[in-house]
Order: sequence, then structure tokens, then C-alpha cells
Amino acid sequence: MGLPTPSQLMKPPQSTKGIIGQFGEPDEALSAARRVRDSQYTHFDFLTPFPVHGMDEAMGQQRSWVPMLTAVLAFFGILSAQAMMNYIMVWDWPMNFGGKPFAAWPSFVPITFELMVLFAAVGTAVIAIIAGKHDTVPQPPAMVVATGATIDKFVLWISATDPKFDVVKAKEFVEGLGAHGVRVVDMEEKGDASV
Amino acid sequence: MTRSSPYATVFDDSQLTGRPIVLPGSGPFGGDEEIDEPWVTGGKRYVDIDRDVCAHTEQFPTRRWWIAFGVALCLLGLLVFSLVSLAFVGVGIVGPNSPVGWGTFIVNFVFWIGIGHAGTLISAVLFLFRQKWRTGINRSAEAMTLFAVACAGIFPIIHLGRLWFAYWLVPIPNGRGPLWINFNSALSWDIFAISTYGLVSAVFWYVGLLPDLATVRDRATHPWRKKLYNVLSFGWNGSNRAWRHYESAYLILAAFATPLVFSVHTIVSFDFATSIVPGWHTTIFPPYFVIGAIFSGFAMVITLMTIMRNVFNLKNYITINHMEAMAKIIMLTGMLVGFAYATEFFMAWYSGSEWEGFIFRNRAFGPYGWSYFIMFSCNALIPQLFWFKRLRRNPAVLFIIAILVNVGMWFERYVIVITSLHRDFLPSSWGMFKMTFFDWSILLGSFGLFFTLFLLFVRFLPAIAMSEVKGIMDPKVAKTIVREN
Repeated sequence: MGLPTPSQLMKPPQSTKGIIGQFGEPDEALSAARRVRDSQYTHFDFLTPFPVHGMDEAMGQQRSWVPMLTAVLAFFGILSAQAMMNYIMVWDWPMNFGGKPFAAWPSFVPITFELMVLFAAVGTAVIAIIAGKHDTVPQPPAMVVATGATIDKFVLWISATDPKFDVVKAKEFVEGLGAHGVRVVDMEEKGDASV
Repeated sequence: MTRSSPYATVFDDSQLTGRPIVLPGSGPFGGDEEIDEPWVTGGKRYVDIDRDVCAHTEQFPTRRWWIAFGVALCLLGLLVFSLVSLAFVGVGIVGPNSPVGWGTFIVNFVFWIGIGHAGTLISAVLFLFRQKWRTGINRSAEAMTLFAVACAGIFPIIHLGRLWFAYWLVPIPNGRGPLWINFNSALSWDIFAISTYGLVSAVFWYVGLLPDLATVRDRATHPWRKKLYNVLSFGWNGSNRAWRHYESAYLILAAFATPLVFSVHTIVSFDFATSIVPGWHTTIFPPYFVIGAIFSGFAMVITLMTIMRNVFNLKNYITINHMEAMAKIIMLTGMLVGFAYATEFFMAWYSGSEWEGFIFRNRAFGPYGWSYFIMFSCNALIPQLFWFKRLRRNPAVLFIIAILVNVGMWFERYVIVITSLHRDFLPSSWGMFKMTFFDWSILLGSFGLFFTLFLLFVRFLPAIAMSEVKGIMDPKVAKTIVREN
């Protein structure tokens, strides 16, 4: 998908049409996810009220790449702390404190550590929130989330943006997984607000 | 509804024993299997959690909340009055003098920072150790951290005297020389440590809140409320494609917060330990301070949880087993703190240093011996009662001991700051320290600020991490039957 543009960052791509099916238990959701993963569909998603252990693998997702950026940010924090303190204490206005060397590196350790943590932690949180909205699949419409995905339902969503999507076949497929409340959602037709 | 789980029949605290449930014959080789007692009682379903936890954010506050809030606001008013007086009149109205230049301000500062540490410990360290019981208490413990850091942050600033120059503490380019701060000073490390700690705790807390804010949004009926909580949750939708980054980030935040919490109180102890004052200049200070912080923080968590359990009726989520787990940590850290007191005395004798020896004799038997006595009995002796399981599981006993521990830990900082300063190397410069009205009013007022913020938190935000509690429940009990079409 490439890097998102600033306007995409604010409003990630959304899909307006697709099929939902609900599951009541994490285990049912997991086995359903495995079957969707092994099917022809790629633009699917599971909306769950809490992170389900093993769901990443069941959906065939890679490990998150966020930690790699954390390492970069941590390194940036270390560099900026060292740059700041060496600039101030050694370059800009060196002063003699009790005969200590100007570049008294042990004194610089605590602040270096703190800035590393600051940059890495705050940056990681921001990146993870953005990353979650810009995966390979467009976001499901808000109406799907409101079916209880943040409360007690494990909701399967197959987006119509999927290249293999066919309403009739997809509906049969989701029903075959043992899902409840299977229905087609089409926000443009405003056909389904009955949830 | 299938309710075959052994958890389905545990309804309240009275059915919890604090011992594992034995399932005969269900082990991997046909032996007995022992499982934890449920961390959520009452046969709750996922929807019930949302209802129980969100209820007090969705309805007009109760009378009890208003009374508590009124008291807290009065104390906050006292704080504002005292701070304004302090700013206009000057530091002469409070106790610190020569030789005791670090009075109650620094005592309060270390006390509040210490309180904050248990929140981070619960949310980060217990997360890394996969302790399931953290889920019931971590949200409010983290909020406690934030508010405690907010209280702590006041004191170094007002201790400056001319507090309108507080921005001189920050290394910003300036026209004063340029006058930079000295990075060899532990006080400059403190600025960075405390502000990083405050910010990272806030981020960690808020990231944890996101899924729950989305739950509040999806329960909301009023469109404005929906919109507000949608913005607050950054449009969280519970997609597993978001969860995978979220969980990764949460783990990283926990992994950073853990060394951070140790570093912060270590650096606070450096404020003392890098000086040459006898009784401060010791290598034991960093671990001693960190353990003391965890000890006092857990006591504050027990105090707050006792109130929350009763006022908001959350006994099914914060069970007596949670309280017992915290009591065990208090007992352990209490013994470690006691061990540190003993080590200090041993080293004062073993080092053969005349000054060190005097300062410790003076601490325990000098004019401030009474505060040493309060500290030692509250911190090292009273928590020993927790050896008895019956006392660990008695809410009233827990509450009283937790408050005594907090008193004791305040006096620990009092002992450290006051007794080391009031009699130094030169008897002609000895002096005494007396707390004035304003010392007391600022201390009391800081509790007002703390409780005002905490009461607002439980009024407007979900006080229990719903998404995390759902994750540790038995789905056999908790699931909702999905309506057939």
C-alpha cells in the first residue's frame, strides 16, 4: 500500500460493502479465521473485543513491524541526548565543575537513558495507532464495529474490495463457517441499518 | 447456555479461598489439575463487565461521590490558597531553614513519586510476568500514578522559592549568558527523569484506555457522547489488524516502563546519594528507594481499591484474591525495607566512620527519634501481620495496615531529609525543624488534588480495563449467546 499521504493518515481508506458474521467465543473465531485464511479471500478482518491469543497466526498475519521503528526511535533518543549534552557542556560553554572533565560521560548516562525511553515509548504508541488503521485491508464501516465487536462479539468481516468477492458465494461461505447473524452490509444503498 | 466451567459457580468473595481449585483426574496424565480461582466472580458475561464498569460514567454521580468530591475540592482549595500565599509572601512561611534547607517539600515530593511507582509496577512489570490479577486493578493504579506524579511535580517547583523562574531548569537556548544547566548535577537528571516518567505513564495509560473508550462509545446512546468518545479512542474498531500492532506496542511500552520506573526512583535517590551529607551518601540508596516506593505505592493501591470496591460495587472484578496478592507484595517489600534500615545501621558501625555512626545514633535516639520509631514500626513491623492468611484476606485489616504503611513511608522520607540535615559536621550550625501551618496545609492540599483528579477519573473514564478483564475470563461462562437469524 505504500506510505499513507497526510489526508489518508487522518482518514484511512474505508470499505463500504461486505459481509459480516458473528461468533460468540474466541475459539470459534480462531477456527473460522483459519478457514478464511486458507480460502480465496484476502480482504477479511476479525473485530474482537479483546486481543485473541493466536489470532495473528490464524489470520495469516506477519509479526508487527512496529518494534523495528522503536529501535530506530530509541537510537535517535540516545543520539539527541548525547548531542545536546556534549554541545552544551563541551562545545558551547565549557565550565569547570570541581575539576571534572568537560565530557564527563558517566554524568550523561541518566539523561541519555531517559530520553531514549521518552522517544521510543511515545513514538511507538503513536506509530502503533496509525499502523493499526493502515493495514493492507481497507477499514470496515463503523456500523460493523457497532454490532458488538467492542463488547462481546467476535465479528468476521469480508470486504467487497476483495478481488474474489461475490455476494452469494461469500454469504454461503460465511454461513458455512458456523457464524451467526450473517448479513450483507452495503452502506451506499443504506439498506442495512437494522443492527 | 453451557456452564460446565468450574468458574460458573463462584459468585462472590465468600466462595474464594485463595487456594487453587483442584480438578480431579483432568491433568495431562490423568492426575489432578490445579487451576487458579477465577479473577472475575459472579458468573459475569462480557456484557455484564461493560455494564458494571461503565455504569458510573453513564449516570449522574451518587451522593457518596458528591460528598467525597466536595471534601477533595475543599482540600484542593486549601492547596491553591497555600500556594498563592507561598508565591506572594515567600518561603519564609514554611518550615525549611538553615540548616534544614530541604523541608517537607522534598519529603512530599519523594512520597508522591513513590506512590506513583506501584501503578507502573502493576501495569508494566506484572504485565511482563503475565500476572492475570493485574487486569482488575491496573487501570486505576495507572491513573493513580499519573495523579501522584502531578502532585509530586508541584513540590520541586515551589521549593525553588522564586517559582516563576522554574523554566530555568530546562536547557533551552537563552539570553542569560548563555546560562545552561549543569548536567553533572543529579537535580538536572531529576528534571528529565520525572518529566519522562510523567509523559510515558500518561501514554501507557492512554494506550491501555483506547479499546475501552471504544466500548464506551459503542454503548453510548447520545450522538455527542458517541462522537466525543470516538475521537478520544481515535476511532478504535477492534480489528485484529489493529490489535497486532497494539499488542506489540503495549509490550514495548511495558518493557520500557519497567526500567524507567526503576531509573526514576534511582535518580530521585541520587539527589541525596551524590551529596556528602552523612546518612545520605550511601550506595544502598537506589535499591532502598525503589523498594520503598513499591511498598508505599501498593499500600496506596490497596487504600484506593478498598474504596472503589465498596463505593462502585466492583467486588466481582477486584476480588479479595487481588487484595491478598497485593498484601503479599506489601509484606515482601516491607521486609526488604526493614532489611535496608538494618543494613544502614550495620554499615554505620562497620564503616567506622564517626559522622555516619553519629547520624544514625541521632536518627534513632536523638530529638527526632519519635519519627524513626513511627517509620520503623509502620514499615517493618506492622506488615508482618500479613504472615497470617486470615488477616491478608480481611478488608478492614488491609485498609488499616495500608494507611499505616503510607504514614510510615511519609515518615521514612521525613527521617531521611530532616535528621540528616539538622545535625551536620559542625555542632555550631546544628538546628531544629518545625512544620508550620503551611507545611501541613500544602501536604493536606496535595491529597486534595490527588483525590479530586482520581474522583473525576472514575466519573468519566472506565476505571477497570474492560478489554483486558475480558481476555482473562473463561469464555464458557462469559460468552453471550448470539441471536440466530
